[in-house]
Amino acid sequence: MKRPVLTLYCLLVYAFLLAPILVVVGASFNAGNFLTFPPQGLSLRWYVTFFHNDVFMRAIRTSLWVAAVATVISGTIGTMAALYYVQHAGRWKEAVRIAMLAPLLLPEVLTAIALLFFVYAIGIGTTTMIGMVAGHVLITLPFVFINVSASLESFDPSWDMAARSLGADRLTRFRRIMLPLIKPGVIGGALFAFIISFDTFTISFMLKGIGTSTLPIQLFDYLRTNFTPEAAAVSTVSIALTLVVVIVSEKVLGLRIHRF
Amino acid sequence: MTEVSIERLTKTFGSARAVDGISIRIADGEFISLLGPSGCGKTTTLKMIAGFEEASEGAIRFDGKDVVNVPAEKRDIGMVFQNYALFPHMTVDQNLAFGLEMRKIAKPEMRSRIAEVLDMVQLGGYSDRYPNQLSGGQQQRVALARALVIEPKILLLDEPLANLDAKLREEMRVFIRDLQRRVGITTVYVTHDQAEAMTMSDRVVVMFGGRIAQIGPPSDIYERPENLEVAQFVGQVNLIKGTIAGAAGPGKSRVACVFGDVTVDSRTDHTPGAAVTLSLRPEAIELKPAGQGGAQGKVTARYYSGSIIDYRIALDSGETLHVQTFPNIRIAEGDRVSVHAPADGFWLLGAAK
Repeated sequence: MKRPVLTLYCLLVYAFLLAPILVVVGASFNAGNFLTFPPQGLSLRWYVTFFHNDVFMRAIRTSLWVAAVATVISGTIGTMAALYYVQHAGRWKEAVRIAMLAPLLLPEVLTAIALLFFVYAIGIGTTTMIGMVAGHVLITLPFVFINVSASLESFDPSWDMAARSLGADRLTRFRRIMLPLIKPGVIGGALFAFIISFDTFTISFMLKGIGTSTLPIQLFDYLRTNFTPEAAAVSTVSIALTLVVVIVSEKVLGLRIHRF
Repeated sequence: MTEVSIERLTKTFGSARAVDGISIRIADGEFISLLGPSGCGKTTTLKMIAGFEEASEGAIRFDGKDVVNVPAEKRDIGMVFQNYALFPHMTVDQNLAFGLEMRKIAKPEMRSRIAEVLDMVQLGGYSDRYPNQLSGGQQQRVALARALVIEPKILLLDEPLANLDAKLREEMRVFIRDLQRRVGITTVYVTHDQAEAMTMSDRVVVMFGGRIAQIGPPSDIYERPENLEVAQFVGQVNLIKGTIAGAAGPGKSRVACVFGDVTVDSRTDHTPGAAVTLSLRPEAIELKPAGQGGAQGKVTARYYSGSIIDYRIALDSGETLHVQTFPNIRIAEGDRVSVHAPADGFWLLGAAK
């Protein structure tokens, strides 16, 4: 290593970022009864407890379901918005951008409260998942929008013109030329959306129906009265799930394409 | 094959007239270049022919049928772009197949047509490469192949050689020209490079400010430029001031200038005494050692560039001349010279419109 100071600095940054995760993962293999680190003996008992805990299992299913639905909706709306923004917005471009990024700029708790009032005002309420899904779509939309518009900016309009000159109609051009070329942006944005949705607390907390719960809320609930390593096991599983989603979509859908 | 007729074609952007009522008739199989500085309307004209820009006024006819309201994807054109515009996520083969798939050509025919065209652009064996695995010249040949494989009515090229280096550009000029002759397709070529336009075209359309300054074969554009603007844009030129001395037979005028009285085609006001400008190309001038007649002057600068030598000559009468000679005549800087200009080297310029 030629630059010891720089190396040390980098190691510290990594430690700052990763140490909490390592502690949680480590603590989850605890054999003892309390959430401590370093673990007192190694055991998978808290994972067994977790997988047999119906409340947690239901919460994790809800979280996955909401995240999947929100990602599909957010991915579609966000991609269309980005298309409009880059190709057609003209003099409204800046206004469109600010509007699309607004959920990111406003405090999430304000968005959540406003949405809560809104769903009751229009009579939907929180008995169905509609309100919560809408909230998740709202907060994940900016991430899809940013990613897709970035990849659209590097889309050369002459590709579209070339396809037109070869006889391709609008739909074919989108399906065969544009979509494959902006795919990394769409998938990247969708991944962000999924992870943010899976992870969010405030929106879910405000808009959940009575009796339903997502994983972060259930975990919070659990930690208010218990302090067992089961919480660490839950966290570790949720980290693992996130990693699986990222890796699988990379392998199946592919984030790389041929470029100049 | 297709005859293209452009009639009073106009494109306005707000109050600006990017293309201002131009008319061109392009014969079947002809190679036409639109030549002009940037902003002259040549690319806008090409885009209107392709259908990427809507014409504000006028007509574009392919074999007599107005296509102004036909969308680009239905015009049956082949287009080659400056940046090649190959689809980066498709192989050479897939790029070429795209247009054929749009035309629902059967697989076996598709295979044979792609193979044939790849052969024509000397890229057989490259069909599985992606565009980023090819050099600039190869990419441009793939782009050409992709445009030709659909056997379009007309071929449009938008500064296709601008991104290539000088040597490759010269090779590609000849390559495209020969290919176009062989295929016999009506071609419109946009460029700001006069040498490119001259080498390749049957006729050159010189454009300035959205209007046509001159249409004609390359030799006409170069040797008989319509006006000062065209003369200066197409190659280098010496402008010689003169006055009409009188008539010299039918359609001819005698002009008095620093080289004595010269006879030129009458094209402007030929009342004796009228001030006119003559053009004289640098390579038309002959240099001889001092004292051998002609106009006298001194070499002020000399630039050697291999196939030719460029001289700057200060004439004793005060004018400066730009002269090009083959390197077999070598004159040093500071030498005094006699400058001879053949009578047919002069051309009377019309006033710029």
